[in-house]
Amino acid sequence: MTQHRPRPGSPAGPSALLAAALAALLGACAGDIPRPLAGIDRLLEQAGSQGAPALAGRWLAVIGSRGGRDQVQLIDLETRGPVPLPGLNRPDAQPISVGVDASGQKLAVVRQIEGRTELLLYRRALMGTELIAMQPAGVPRRLQLSADGRQLALEVSRGGRWQVDLISVP
Amino acid sequence: MPSPISGLVSLLLISLACTGCGSWSWQRRPAAGGGWDQADRQDPALSGNGRLLASIVDQGGRPTLLLQEQPSGRRIRLRQLGGHQPHSSPSLSWNGRYVALLIQQGSRRLAVVEDRANGRLQRLPLPGDLEPERISLAPDGQRLAMELLRNGRRQVQLFDLAGVLEPDRPGGLAASGGGLPERP
Repeated sequence: MTQHRPRPGSPAGPSALLAAALAALLGACAGDIPRPLAGIDRLLEQAGSQGAPALAGRWLAVIGSRGGRDQVQLIDLETRGPVPLPGLNRPDAQPISVGVDASGQKLAVVRQIEGRTELLLYRRALMGTELIAMQPAGVPRRLQLSADGRQLALEVSRGGRWQVDLISVP
Repeated sequence: MPSPISGLVSLLLISLACTGCGSWSWQRRPAAGGGWDQADRQDPALSGNGRLLASIVDQGGRPTLLLQEQPSGRRIRLRQLGGHQPHSSPSLSWNGRYVALLIQQGSRRLAVVEDRANGRLQRLPLPGDLEPERISLAPDGQRLAMELLRNGRRQVQLFDLAGVLEPDRPGGLAASGGGLPERP
């Protein structure tokens, strides 16, 4: 928040106080323009087009587009570099939504593959994916993994309605 | 020395777990309705500790944020968001002190963060004609990722909220603000 104080020893005249009050009022109405994190932004710009961001701890997961193909990308905000995700991205899959936990070890992904939409959990330590069956049947879309990695909130189309499922992550 | 049979069994169990047949162990439940069982619910977001769930429900034709305790489904009313529908892309901090989302302000879509501890709404306007499509608040509330549409290209940009919001870290006290619980 912007604070306006007279310099020590300088008189704070009525006009200075009025200007400070006006600036504070305008700031409160308009909101502070957030500061971009410059180093990371350059990295993201170089990495190509991205969307569907998920932030947790030092990790940023996005769906990035490279060479016309969408894939899940994980960026370590401390080392400011991408993290390899062996076994997750497939050339025939289209990721729709991604979530990451604060340890950066679990990623949950909704993706389309061979005409179906599936939900899976990727564990970096195992470099492997686990499919999560939709029961009752439904089509998953957006998801979010809780930062503690214990629960998954999932938007599901089921019987013509949108519902939210909560899934405990073992 | 392990026998060849026990080795084969171990291998089989590991391969089952990694190929999806292990999905029997997943426990699931529909989000507690709290009177909203019949409503369309989209865009779910959990607090970092999983105790609060935000989602977007249709309220009189207007997509509106619904914040609920889990597993009770008790609704928690937010003080500042009425009249700024449609709401979208909610995101919660660790203990649910901060609720970030996109609101409509006049003709523009705007990212905001409501601090449930004091009821304040922090607006996060973007320069020029940039508008956010999706947002994600870091669990500690110190960073915000925004998906922007720039020259027809989707781009994620990160913003620093340190100095704007106090950290909301694991083990911190859950915010008690947000008004009285509402009966649906």
